[in-house]
Amino acid sequence: MSERDTDGARIAEKACETLAGSIRGLAAYHLNACVRCGLCAETCHVYQGEPVPENHPGAKVAKVAGYYRKYHTLLGKYAPRFVGAKDLTLQLLDELIETVYGRCTACGRCGIHCSVGLDVAAVIQTGRNVLAAVGKVPEGLQRTVDNQIETGNQMAVPPEELLSTAEWLADDLKVEMGDDDASVYVNQKGKRALYLVNPREVKFFPLSLMAAAGVFHAAGESWTISSKVYDVTNYGFFSGDAQSAAELTRRVVEEAKALAVEEIILSECGHGYRSFRWEGPNWVREEYPVRVRSVLELLDEYIVTGRIKVDPTKNDERVTLHDPCNLVRHGGLSEPQRRVLRAVTRDFVEMTPNRQDNFCCGGGGGMLSMSEYGDRRIASGRVKADQIRATGAKIVATPCHNCADQLLELSKRYDLGVEIRAVVELVYSSLC
Amino acid sequence: MLDVTRCFVLLSVLWAAIALIAQVAAARGGGREEYGERSGSPGKGMLHNFTIAMLPWHKETVKHHPGKFAAGVIMHMGVILTLADAVVVLIRPTTGLIDVWSYTRWVVACSLVSGVYLLVRRICSRNLRVMSASEDYVSILATCGLLAFALLRSIDSQYQLIFLAYVGLFFVFLPLGKLRHSVFFFVARGDYGRRLGYRGVYPPTMERMK
Repeated sequence: MSERDTDGARIAEKACETLAGSIRGLAAYHLNACVRCGLCAETCHVYQGEPVPENHPGAKVAKVAGYYRKYHTLLGKYAPRFVGAKDLTLQLLDELIETVYGRCTACGRCGIHCSVGLDVAAVIQTGRNVLAAVGKVPEGLQRTVDNQIETGNQMAVPPEELLSTAEWLADDLKVEMGDDDASVYVNQKGKRALYLVNPREVKFFPLSLMAAAGVFHAAGESWTISSKVYDVTNYGFFSGDAQSAAELTRRVVEEAKALAVEEIILSECGHGYRSFRWEGPNWVREEYPVRVRSVLELLDEYIVTGRIKVDPTKNDERVTLHDPCNLVRHGGLSEPQRRVLRAVTRDFVEMTPNRQDNFCCGGGGGMLSMSEYGDRRIASGRVKADQIRATGAKIVATPCHNCADQLLELSKRYDLGVEIRAVVELVYSSLC
Repeated sequence: MLDVTRCFVLLSVLWAAIALIAQVAAARGGGREEYGERSGSPGKGMLHNFTIAMLPWHKETVKHHPGKFAAGVIMHMGVILTLADAVVVLIRPTTGLIDVWSYTRWVVACSLVSGVYLLVRRICSRNLRVMSASEDYVSILATCGLLAFALLRSIDSQYQLIFLAYVGLFFVFLPLGKLRHSVFFFVARGDYGRRLGYRGVYPPTMERMK
C-alpha cells in the first residue's frame, strides 16, 4: 500500500468518525427526512444569483446525504448505487468543499421554507465538520481560524494596536462629548460588563467602537474591553472546527472570570452572537457563569428605561435594516434592534421580506474569507441589493460587520448609493 | 391464502415499526443538550412548527410552486386513505374503506394522477435529476403502485389478495429508503421547532405579527 493510499485511508477513517459524531441528535434526523422534492430552489440567494442545479439546496443536502447513507443505512452499505450512497474518499471530499463552503452560507432560509421542515444549515454544518476534521477547509478561512487561535483575534491585530486605538478614541470622545470622564476602558477589573468587539472595529471601523463607548458613557455604564481577549467573532464556527470554536469560547469565559465582570456584552455581529450565545455553551458543554447579551438588547434597555435620551430628528434620512441570518433566524434576536431604530431615526422602513424570512446578504458562512468564491458571493447578493433598492433608503443599518462588508461591496457593484451603518452608530448620532 | 397474506402484512408492519424505531434511536444517538440560557419555549416552538409554520401562505416553496405542492399534498392524502383502507380490509376482508365511502375512490384516483405527475416531473427536471438516485424513482413508483392496487381492489374484489400482498411489500421497503420520511418528517420538524423555540425564533412575537 502506497503512502498516499495510507493517508487516504486515515483521512477517510477520520472523516467517518467525525460524520458519526456530528450527525448525532441533529443532522441525522434531517438527512433522513429530505424527500428531494426540489421546491426550495428559489428560497436560496445563491441559487437565485446563479441558477444551476449544483446551487440547489436539495442538491447540497443530497451531497452530504450520500456519505450519511453509505455509513449509516442498510441499503447504503449493500446497494450504494441504488440509494446514491458514496464513500468518503479523498476525491469526493474535495468535491464536497465547494458544495458546503462555496455554494452555501448556511443561512438557513431554505430550512424555514422547506415543505418538510429540514434544517438544511445543520446538514451543511455537518459537511463542514467533516472537512475541518480532515484539514480540508479553504485556505483563506483556515488562515482566519489560525489567526484567531494564535493571536486571539481573527485579524491578528496586536494588543499594542488595540491599546493605542483605544487611547486616541478616548481622546476624540472626550472632545466630541465635551466630557473629560468619557473614555474607552481596557483591562479594567471589576467593571460590570466585558464588551467584545469585532477586530474590524479596531482596525477599519474605529468610529463604531467610539460610538459604543459614547453611548456607554451617556448611559453611565460600567464596562471594559480586554486587550487579550476581545474578539466577538468565532471563525471555528464557520470552518466547522468545533475544537477551535470551543477553545475560543473558553478563552472569553476565562477572561470574564479573571476580570470579575457580571455580564458579557457582544458587539454587533451575527455569527458572533450565535456562536457565543447559543453554540458556545454546547461546545464547552456547560452553562456560562455570567450573563450574555447582545449590545442591541442593552441599547434597547437604555432607551426603554430612559438611561439615554435620543432625538430621532438627528437621523433624518430614510433607514432600513438588514437582518443578519445568524442573529435573527438562528439566534432569535429580531425585535430590540427594531425598537432601537424606531426610536433613533425619523424614517425607518422594513425590507421585504424581513426578520426570519430575510435573505442572506451573501457574505455569511465565512464567505468573505474565501476569495475563490468572490464572484458567486457578489452574484448571490443581487437579491439583497434589489431588496435595499425597493425600500428607497439612504442608510442601511446592519448589526453585523460581516454583513456590513458585503453590503458595502454590494452598494458599489449594484450602484445602490447607500451608506452602511451599525445600529450603535445611529444611536450615538441621535444622543441628546 | 387470505390468512397467510394478512399475517405477512402484519409481520411487515411490525418489521417497519421496529426498523424505524431503531433508526430514530440511532439518529438520536443519546441526544444533544442545549446549554445556552433558554430565551423561548421549546414546546411552543415545536407547536408553531407543526401548525402555523406549515400553512401554505407561510411557505415560499408553496408560493413558487403551488401546483407541485398541491400534487404532493393530494398524493399523501391518497396514501393515508389507502393505508386506512388496508387496515379496514385486514380487519373485515369483505369491505374496504374506499367501498364504504365511494367518493374516496376519486381521491385515490387523483392521488395516483398526482403521483404519476411527480414521477414524470422527477424524470424531466434537470434540478431533480441531479439530486435523485434510483431509489427516488422506485419510491414514487412503489407509492403509485400502492394507490393503483387500492383502486383496483375497490373496483374488483378479486384484487384484494394482491392489494394486501402489495401493502406487505410496501411496508418491507418503507424503512429502507426515502419512504422512511413518513416518520422522520415528524422527528425532523419536531427537532427543528424545539430548537427554534428554545432560542426564541419560534413562535414569532406578537410585535412581529403586526
